Amino acid sequence: MEYIQGIAVLIGINLIAVLGLSILTGFTGLFSFGHGGFMAIGAYISAIVSSRLDLPVPIAFPLAIVAGALAAGLVSIFIGKLTLNLKGDYFCIATMGFGEAIRVILNNVNYVGGARGWANLPQYTTWWIVLGLDVILVVFTWNIINSRQGRNMVAVREEELAAQMAGVNTFRSKMVALVVSAALAGIAGALMANYIQFIRPTMFNMAKSTDLTIMVIFGGLGSISGTIVGTFLLVSLPEIFRNFAQWRLVIYGLAVIVIMVGRPQGIMGGVELTPSGIRKIFAARRAKAKLEAELKAAEQGDAA
Amino acid sequence: MTEALPLLELKGLTKRFGGLAAVNNVSFKVRQGDISGLIGPNGAGKTTIFNLITGVYKVTEGQIEFQGKPIHNQEPFKIASGGVTRTFQNIRLFKNLSVFDNVYTACHLSAKYSLLHSVLRLPLYWKEEKILKEKARSLLAIMGLEERQDIAANNLPYGLQRRLEITRALALDPKLLLLDEPAAGMNPDETEQLMRIIAEVRKMFNLSVLVIEHHMDLIMGICDHIHVLNFGCTLADGTADEIANDPKVVEAYLGAEEEK
Amino acid sequence: MDQFLQQLVNGLSIGSIYALMAVGYSLVYSIMNFSNFAHGSVIMLGAYFGFFALTRLGVPFSVAFFIAALGTAAIAVILERLAYKPLRDRRAPFLYFIITAMGASIFIDNSVIATIGPTPKTFPPDLLPAWLQGDPLEWGMLTVGRIDIAIFLTAAICLFLLMIFIDFTKLGKAIQATAYNMKASALMGINPNFVIILVFAIGGGLAGAAGVLYGMKYQVFPQMSAITLKSFIAAVFGGLGSLPGALLGSVLLALIETFVSGYLSTQYRDLFAFIILIGMLVVRPSGIMGKDAEDKA
Repeated sequence: MEYIQGIAVLIGINLIAVLGLSILTGFTGLFSFGHGGFMAIGAYISAIVSSRLDLPVPIAFPLAIVAGALAAGLVSIFIGKLTLNLKGDYFCIATMGFGEAIRVILNNVNYVGGARGWANLPQYTTWWIVLGLDVILVVFTWNIINSRQGRNMVAVREEELAAQMAGVNTFRSKMVALVVSAALAGIAGALMANYIQFIRPTMFNMAKSTDLTIMVIFGGLGSISGTIVGTFLLVSLPEIFRNFAQWRLVIYGLAVIVIMVGRPQGIMGGVELTPSGIRKIFAARRAKAKLEAELKAAEQGDAA
Repeated sequence: MTEALPLLELKGLTKRFGGLAAVNNVSFKVRQGDISGLIGPNGAGKTTIFNLITGVYKVTEGQIEFQGKPIHNQEPFKIASGGVTRTFQNIRLFKNLSVFDNVYTACHLSAKYSLLHSVLRLPLYWKEEKILKEKARSLLAIMGLEERQDIAANNLPYGLQRRLEITRALALDPKLLLLDEPAAGMNPDETEQLMRIIAEVRKMFNLSVLVIEHHMDLIMGICDHIHVLNFGCTLADGTADEIANDPKVVEAYLGAEEEK
Repeated sequence: MDQFLQQLVNGLSIGSIYALMAVGYSLVYSIMNFSNFAHGSVIMLGAYFGFFALTRLGVPFSVAFFIAALGTAAIAVILERLAYKPLRDRRAPFLYFIITAMGASIFIDNSVIATIGPTPKTFPPDLLPAWLQGDPLEWGMLTVGRIDIAIFLTAAICLFLLMIFIDFTKLGKAIQATAYNMKASALMGINPNFVIILVFAIGGGLAGAAGVLYGMKYQVFPQMSAITLKSFIAAVFGGLGSLPGALLGSVLLALIETFVSGYLSTQYRDLFAFIILIGMLVVRPSGIMGKDAEDKA
């Protein structure tokens, strides 16, 4: 039972980071190789606040989480300002470099344990806290996406130039997506540090970043419910198939290619598992069928 | 009688790419309420001018003034929110979004609520979202797209896609609408329909239009004023009659004697 | 002064490897306007191909080298045909390409880990050409490892041949034309698909060469695909899309890294690559020799 609860907590923690990445990649169309770095910032800041500062627990933990989120967010502003006005490749390369840079820096700062890591962190994270934050942040993500700010992000993903012509400040939209995703990754990192009670730089390297992205892709770009399903599957599957650990990533890599080439909408097909989401799908199908019928009738009418 | 301030004025506009002047010292005015045409052979610089007006390109020399104030070199989104919107030669709809969402998204400037309002779902969010939905719905109804509002944009037939693009451009309450070859690929019937729509839109929304087109029937049919380009330079400027009878234009472009 | 020259020599060696990687990457980028983020995995495969050709097939080193380069050229083309072409045909958004490249990279890297294993392999010195096995050469106060000389010469020859190919042959001009404007070139009778295959093959081949040289100088291990980050930074530094820029950027990056390693500390070497990247983005995003880095309509 405790084992299952452990997995549940890991799912819940990862979900927060993946929600952020979903906003950035799934809805705004930006790809980051370095969100592990933002998680690392959150984790380490949280570790410092929770074990180096002598504060009572009810203050220390929330402060740690907020500090982690803020730090990650601030760093992301720096990266965003430099690269979001340029072509997409620059942003990707910069995030890749950022992820590596964080790892190198952390490896060399002995105050936080260096490459060997930092053990014996206090365990503050509980199942209820994670669940509570998950609910809050899923609603948070939903609220952003279903607003004019969220629609503008999607417009950036669909057709950036047309979005600009429609008065969308695409730089600002991308920046908001980036900062929110970084802050969420920071929160996830903070929760992680105070759950596993041990952190080291290699936990947040590019492998972690790509892990998170894979979760977004499997669930389907542009679907929050997809993100939840994707995270659930990809965090629990490895535990179930522990014997095949080596091949897990081989299969994931292949699966990503197949998904992108065959079915980019992922598992959920870009659909939201909500009443309005499902209604939308049926309405779209009906409307399309109707249109095709009308066009066919017109053609036959012409031929007659 | 002094002429009223032109809505849009290009003054000595020049754009060079490396050594090539795609647009060379072009000047013209679009008067308030007019439907103006911008014509010329392919490669004459017409779309480049649109890109300059909408801020996609920076000008090399010259000025662009909108309502008397310079707008050249501004950020594209600022120019759009200032009242100049456009459609594209090769349709740039939000393909995977529904027809409704394409317009709904573009309505965003009619609301003022901030990210905080969205996240916390404060009352202003609800109030303004309702307004935006209503606005999108009414625009789609006016343009005859209401029935199709749930279809994904890229499932629309070509003619309706063009209409959707115009609808989306209208969502920003523009004062000047730039249409880049809106009749491309249309048969004569569709072109007629489009002409009527453009005329209606001008009246209903009280705006001015600048059209790039190759379909001469459309240009001659609805334009109050025409500017002719060739190799990036101004060839002629005047009313439809003046242009049709200008020997330079006839020779370089219309070829009325030899062709159809 | 001597230490300075010594560092210079060290830097040129790793700079040569970076150059092969960065030029290959930039070549593909200049045609496709697309960053092949699976480039690192191809480099890594090159090292393994070279290693196994040398140790299992028992061929001489130079043959192993060619086998590696041909092998990676083939892999790169297969990757293009299977993963990227379908996306190109559907005119998929930029994002899909990156994701697919990431997937390919994960697939390739972990296939190697799962089959061959993660333990690093070393090129057996006795299988290398005789003249490489001797002591480092002494030249005044400078000590130059023989492997470093080999790396520098090999890279120089490869890049020189590439330059001749691009500037003076008909195919090379076809590549230049397509890089400039794919549609116009197609109208002139240049088959874009063929050019794309050619460019991926060359890029892949250069990657394989870089992989073998890197493996020879250091070791062969699956995680070496991460070295590709250096080639991206070098390419941005020199100007994305510019081949001479990639070369210049690589050499400069390697020199700066070596000097930081030598005079400051090896720990911060990788960090400096990132600092250079950030510095470039702040000061001149188009790179030393690049064109505009902003979006065009």
